[in-house]
Amino acid sequence: MSLETFQQLNWSIMTPEFIILGVIAVLVLCDLFMPKTLDRKILGWVGIAAVFAAMAATAAMVGGPVQSILHDTFRIDSFSLAFKLLLLCGGVLVLFLAVSYEPKDGVERYQAEFYYLFLAALLGAMVMTSSGDLITLYIGLELLSITSYILAGIRKFHLQSNESAMKYVINGGISTAITLFGMSYVYGLTGTTNLLEMANKLVTLANSNHVYLLTLAFLMLVVGLAFKLAAAPFHMWAPDVYQGAPTPVTAFLSVVSKIAGFVILIRILLTVFGFAATKGQGSMPILYDMQNYLAVIAAATMIIGNVVALRQTDIKRMFAYSSIAHAGYLLVALTSLTTNMFDSIWFYLLAYLLMNLGAFAIIQVITEKAGGTAIADFAGLYRRAPVLAVAMGILLISLAGFPGTAGFIGKLNIFLGAFYAEPAHYVLASIMIATTVVSYFYYFGVMTQMFFRPPADDSKLNIPFGILVVLIVAVVGSILLGIMPNIAFDFMQNNLDIIGDFFK
Amino acid sequence: MENAWLIPLFPLLSFLLLLLIGKRLREASAYVGILLTLASLVFSILVLFERFSEPTYMAKVNWLTIGEVHLTAGFEVNQLNALMLFIVSLVSFLVHTYSKGYMQGDERFHVFYAYLGLFTFAMLGLVISPNILQTYIFWELVGVGSFLLIGFYFYKEEAKAAAKKAFIMTRIGDVGLFIGMILLFWQTQSFEYSEIFKAVEAGSVSNTMITLTAILIFIGAIGKSGQFPLHTWLPDAMEGPTPVSALIHAATMVAAGVYLVAALFPLFLASKTALLTVAVIGGFTAIFAASIGLVQTDIKRVLAYSTVSQLGYMMLALGCGGYVAGVFHLMTHAFFKALLFLAAGSVIHAVHTQNIEEMGGLWKKLKLTAPLFLIGTLAISGVPGLSGFFSKDEILVAAWEGGHPVLFLLALIAAFMTAFYMFRLFFMVFTGDARSEQRDVNESPSVMTLPMVLLGILAVVAGYINTPWFGSFLGDWLVDGNPILGAAHIEGPAWIMIAATVVSLAGILFAYFIYGKRSIAPDWLSGKGDMLHTVVSNKYYIDEFYQMTVVAIVTGFSYFLRLIDTFLVEGIVKGVVGFVQGLGRTGAKMQSGQVQTYGAVAFLGLAVLAVIYALTGGYLR
Repeated sequence: MSLETFQQLNWSIMTPEFIILGVIAVLVLCDLFMPKTLDRKILGWVGIAAVFAAMAATAAMVGGPVQSILHDTFRIDSFSLAFKLLLLCGGVLVLFLAVSYEPKDGVERYQAEFYYLFLAALLGAMVMTSSGDLITLYIGLELLSITSYILAGIRKFHLQSNESAMKYVINGGISTAITLFGMSYVYGLTGTTNLLEMANKLVTLANSNHVYLLTLAFLMLVVGLAFKLAAAPFHMWAPDVYQGAPTPVTAFLSVVSKIAGFVILIRILLTVFGFAATKGQGSMPILYDMQNYLAVIAAATMIIGNVVALRQTDIKRMFAYSSIAHAGYLLVALTSLTTNMFDSIWFYLLAYLLMNLGAFAIIQVITEKAGGTAIADFAGLYRRAPVLAVAMGILLISLAGFPGTAGFIGKLNIFLGAFYAEPAHYVLASIMIATTVVSYFYYFGVMTQMFFRPPADDSKLNIPFGILVVLIVAVVGSILLGIMPNIAFDFMQNNLDIIGDFFK
Repeated sequence: MENAWLIPLFPLLSFLLLLLIGKRLREASAYVGILLTLASLVFSILVLFERFSEPTYMAKVNWLTIGEVHLTAGFEVNQLNALMLFIVSLVSFLVHTYSKGYMQGDERFHVFYAYLGLFTFAMLGLVISPNILQTYIFWELVGVGSFLLIGFYFYKEEAKAAAKKAFIMTRIGDVGLFIGMILLFWQTQSFEYSEIFKAVEAGSVSNTMITLTAILIFIGAIGKSGQFPLHTWLPDAMEGPTPVSALIHAATMVAAGVYLVAALFPLFLASKTALLTVAVIGGFTAIFAASIGLVQTDIKRVLAYSTVSQLGYMMLALGCGGYVAGVFHLMTHAFFKALLFLAAGSVIHAVHTQNIEEMGGLWKKLKLTAPLFLIGTLAISGVPGLSGFFSKDEILVAAWEGGHPVLFLLALIAAFMTAFYMFRLFFMVFTGDARSEQRDVNESPSVMTLPMVLLGILAVVAGYINTPWFGSFLGDWLVDGNPILGAAHIEGPAWIMIAATVVSLAGILFAYFIYGKRSIAPDWLSGKGDMLHTVVSNKYYIDEFYQMTVVAIVTGFSYFLRLIDTFLVEGIVKGVVGFVQGLGRTGAKMQSGQVQTYGAVAFLGLAVLAVIYALTGGYLR
């Protein structure tokens, strides 16, 4: 590529990524040259500003045409914009948590790293949404993963944090291996890494042996990527890692990382397997043929997440299982494969982002104060800090999927989708309902602690500014989207034509 | 009627206001709640009167669009809704007033009023919803309100457990409702009542589907209305403050199940099986709960079982096709049961115990509460002339004419039991000598007695709007324009009314012999005529005979049913819970903390999927 063509490329579509990348570089340099005595918190605020700027740059592209550069490896379509906005929202809220994170045996020494590693991880996730090629997808995935491993272990002198990072890196390695193995099959069968080209080649796939290999690749990719979603059978790392990682990192893993996981899964499954015919041209695509496998994974994820959550006495572990369960609900939407699938998944992730990050904000306040992560530390929260308790109550009922909250609308969408699908997934829908009922027990267990138990200590809790911001956004958002969900759906339907753009 | 949507908003405003400034207002919070519910009541009365002369009003806006699916939100004022609005806002207003006296001095006075506001908002929202999805949303919100109110005394371990139990038990029913609702939507493409009925009438939904959805929705009603087998939460819920019991567990929330069945009545009518299910569950619950009520010693628990039993009556009426009878009894029951609960609260307020074995001789001490309690007792027992008599009679006629002689008989026996245990309660509390030391027993303040007086008047006269003698005004109005709902008044043989009177009087008489006899001076009785006197002089024979036979059988039966209740019903519930928890334990055990296991599980999962694929698809195909 000559310099001229290089310059002619439409680099502007990468503005959000460049903003984040630039700020990471600036932060690294600042950290290096800033006097040791200076508080690094200011760098965190710069990071927040950067994410807001990236958000504005992304929002400016909404409604525009499909664009791609670098041989279609990086593309801007409605899908990427919609989910990039979600990631940025999640990212900014997590950074708000991070600047308010002050554990007893702190992270002061690594505070600046803490901020720019978050940004780097976010950058990886953003690249994933815009990738049109296996290579860029994988690079985005690894950027996200590797920075997350470091983040999990950022409290260097904290044993649990170390353990968490160790477990995360080993499991992450296994998952990457499986994913790559699956990708290699796909590459081997098509001879290209570009997703759309693959789709074109696979339409005419007729050799039944190739179909067999491709389906194996499908299973490997799904299982490998299940790691990022924390879905069965690759969910077991989640509780251990969530428990040990610093709370903002846990929040990041449970929200941003999970969104990124869904982005890559949807991108690969729909483009590669949505067209690969099982028996020659025009026959059933592999994706539809394999729906039942996805259904089994979704069901197992919901059951494991919700049932094991019942036994937890540690709030972060409980939320790990709860996040596994939510991945299960989202997989139900993916299994149904209706025309509303994108809307349902996007909306559910938005609702999940709000309610889960809000809940983690409160968890961060409580655990920092208590110095431990037991659910019992929530006892009598209503007496100590009524506002926090009510906010947590609202977020919990939203997580439980109670009517009037965003969580309910999200579940309702997925549920209707499961019925509207052809053929309808009754069994999956019933499992979803049953496990949702189970989830009431553990969410309400926390409620009982907060409202109906006397507090262990009566000390007041002070709420840092960052936490306050996250809480307001989360609580207002959860209720607003529960009462007027059309705000989000209208935005989606009026500006973003995901299905139309997806294969252009 | 265009402004009917304001009605639920007043209590919501009360809730929000009290949440924000309740702490500063303290006891003045009561006025906020009372005034705002009064506003609701005034509007409800206006709407009700408007609805007498005008047709149904409905307004809706587009709420949510998912793909091609449009969901609407709005409100509707039809006959049933207007009536329910009136009942709910009236009882809520009275309970708000009453609580000012009852809850005085409670540290969390304002919180109580805030919760009451939330609950009232949810309940009013429930009854003006024009579509089942909106109903469902408010239905759940009502559950939250009730959860908070039952657990209000959270420092009591029982209250905490009861709140949780009530919430979870009703949730089980709600799952049925939710699935039924979604299935209906799937079949009819709409959540709106009118659209659903149109589709059902047009026959575009298969009969199996109608039966299935109707029964699933009825499961929701079973949970909320405390019908067998999901009734166990209701007696436990008596741990909440007594005004709450009057509001939630007598007049409003528990009636929501009956309301739901009534609101979806055309759907139920389309399926014989569903109707029969409703009738059988209702009839069985009526006698089942009544028999348990016979042996309770806690004043509120007696009333709780009586509520369960009366709700069974309403279900029975609906199941037998007696739409008017069911709704009519819902209304009269709301009045006399709220009265009974408030009066019971007044008694508890005075003597600080709920155990009726420690009470007695309160007639002279509670000059106002006692006669009011008597009115409520007479009304629920179905003594001629009071409201309960007319509505119960309608139900019995509906059961008989609906072709369910067995259920009719059950209802008749349950009526006998009702009269018996209610008067047992009355005699034990108000007559005889005090069975424990009672000090400073004072009548409640007028802020508590006035609401009771009003309910007392209603408990007497409310029946006259629908009687076989003076015309069936309520019935005519309820079915006006909806002939499908059935006749405005079912004409039944005259002997049913006589039979009803006889059994209720017999019940009272038995109760009197057993529990009242010692207290009443013979000279009071002798004035009542010779025949009664002779019977009374022989009271010991009857009493002993009764003790040996009827009481033994009834008590035995009752204990048997209690056993079923504790071991079978609770056992199944516990079994399910145990299973789920066991599963959870196993899952938690797998979580050994060893990274190798985690990786191995992932590989194993992949391997299993691949093997299943190899066995079913791939080369084998």
